Amino acid sequence: MEKLTDEKIQKGLEVLRREVGSKLLTHVNSCVHCGLCAESCVYYNVEPNEHFVPAKKVDIVSSVYRRYYSTTGKFIPWLTGARKLDDATIEEMVDLLYGSCTMCGRCNKHCSVGVDIEYLVRTGRAMLAEMGYVPETLQKTVDAAINTGNNMGISTEDFVDTLKWLEEELQFEVEDDNAIIPLDEKGKDIMYTLNPREPKFFPLSISAMAKVFYAAGESWTLSTKMYDVTNYAYFSGNLEEGQLIAQRMVDEMKSLKANRCILAECGHGTRSFRWEAPNYLEQGFSFEVETSVELLAEYIREGRIKVDPEKNQEIVTLHDPCNLTRSGGILEEQRYILSKCVKNFVEMTPKGTDNLCCGGGGGQLSMSEYNERRMRISGLKADQIRKTEASVVATPCHNCVDQLIQTNAAYKLNVKIKTLAEIVADAIVLDNENEENIS
Amino acid sequence: MAILEIEGRKFDVDGDGFLSDPYIWDDDVASLIAKSDGIDSMNEKHWSIVNIIRKHWEEKGMAPMVRTICQESGIRLREIYELFPLGPARGACRVAGLPKPDGCV
Ligand code: SF4
Ligand code: SF4
Repeated sequence: MEKLTDEKIQKGLEVLRREVGSKLLTHVNSCVHCGLCAESCVYYNVEPNEHFVPAKKVDIVSSVYRRYYSTTGKFIPWLTGARKLDDATIEEMVDLLYGSCTMCGRCNKHCSVGVDIEYLVRTGRAMLAEMGYVPETLQKTVDAAINTGNNMGISTEDFVDTLKWLEEELQFEVEDDNAIIPLDEKGKDIMYTLNPREPKFFPLSISAMAKVFYAAGESWTLSTKMYDVTNYAYFSGNLEEGQLIAQRMVDEMKSLKANRCILAECGHGTRSFRWEAPNYLEQGFSFEVETSVELLAEYIREGRIKVDPEKNQEIVTLHDPCNLTRSGGILEEQRYILSKCVKNFVEMTPKGTDNLCCGGGGGQLSMSEYNERRMRISGLKADQIRKTEASVVATPCHNCVDQLIQTNAAYKLNVKIKTLAEIVADAIVLDNENEENIS
Repeated sequence: MAILEIEGRKFDVDGDGFLSDPYIWDDDVASLIAKSDGIDSMNEKHWSIVNIIRKHWEEKGMAPMVRTICQESGIRLREIYELFPLGPARGACRVAGLPKPDGCV
């Protein structure tokens, strides 16, 4: 760990100072140590050790706060359990806040007095980010986004080649040379976004969405300059970097003069842009921002695409991404889509806003440092999936998809992991298809 | 940093099991890593994918796009996911001895 200096301490404390008088004051002073949050946390569940009780995260941020911003804490630290920001404290903060939390927010929901535990985790991460203690692997992903425009460092040339290739495949699939994947077109209704892992390694979801747009006769485009829906600075806690990434998306929407920004299936991308960006950019959006999950539901509801559940015969279950469902309230749309597109849908338990995190949230997927823990907590999700007896797990989040692919292999579940776009695309009935296919 | 032990051979790896030193890689290492992922013996297609990834990384310093892998190997996309159940990144790139790519993989 890098040496702690006075300058660093001041930078860290500045984060708390910015928040003083606001929400922070309530949440650092509310925990009544009832311990109820313990059982709600995936980490505590697989390893019932006091280190993993969510209140421990509340405590470390609160005790630093008290040491510097409360009178008693300043003068009689032991009385309030106040803690100095020193090397030992930092080390514990890094392990607790980055290494033992997926920012899933399930503890918030179960806390007896409503402490926003996850907000304190984020505040603590922001302090650590200011002081330069972001885990290296997580910072590398943020740096790639800042330096190259996407978090996997894909060149524009590679990006364009991939989309042209997908376009040819699409034309072949739908037997129509007019099926296109428009790039950088101005004045379209929709600017669609992607998670960079799609063009780089998992493009089936791009093809699926392009097929849906084609079937709906949508006016849409992708930007080759700013298509990355992710914002890993939301996980690292670095405010300026988070702002910079979100601002690029706003600028690109304006430059392409699109009306609706449609966010690909990405939980934290949705949260960080749709719900957090107006706060950290200190301005509202001058365009609509929606998720592709809502858009897919809209197409089906309004009859803009025809779907046939008979086309998806396998048993499908659903994993609700924490950021999209628990934090974002998108709960019914994915169920509506599945009810229209698959024959056999089964829920897992718990589900919806009480669902368990897959284990890959909070930037865990990028942090190799904590890989072992991540794969251990994913055992809970494996059990949930196994109990449904499903052979397909649908989830509207590419981050969850990756975690579930690994869970599938590690726990030998023998299931397929799909995005909603892929499921919808498989269920689509195109106009030129034989009417007999529709039952 | 961690140690990955496969059939008595030990490798320094990162937390995700990617080689810490990509230059100790050779065909034997590739076969062993594949084994640890449940691919008991690498067939011609596995090798073709791995060699394309490796060559690309040696020349350009990063993993190729999956499009490049498909087009250079002539293997269809869906088959790549069957050959490497963990996908091109955590599956094939790891077997090819590359460092872990950034992002949601
Ligand atoms: S946000 Fe989730 S992972 Fe983090 S402490 Fe709360 S329950 Fe545990
Ligand atoms: S449930 Fe809330 S009040 Fe109780 S220990 Fe956890 S954080 Fe504190």
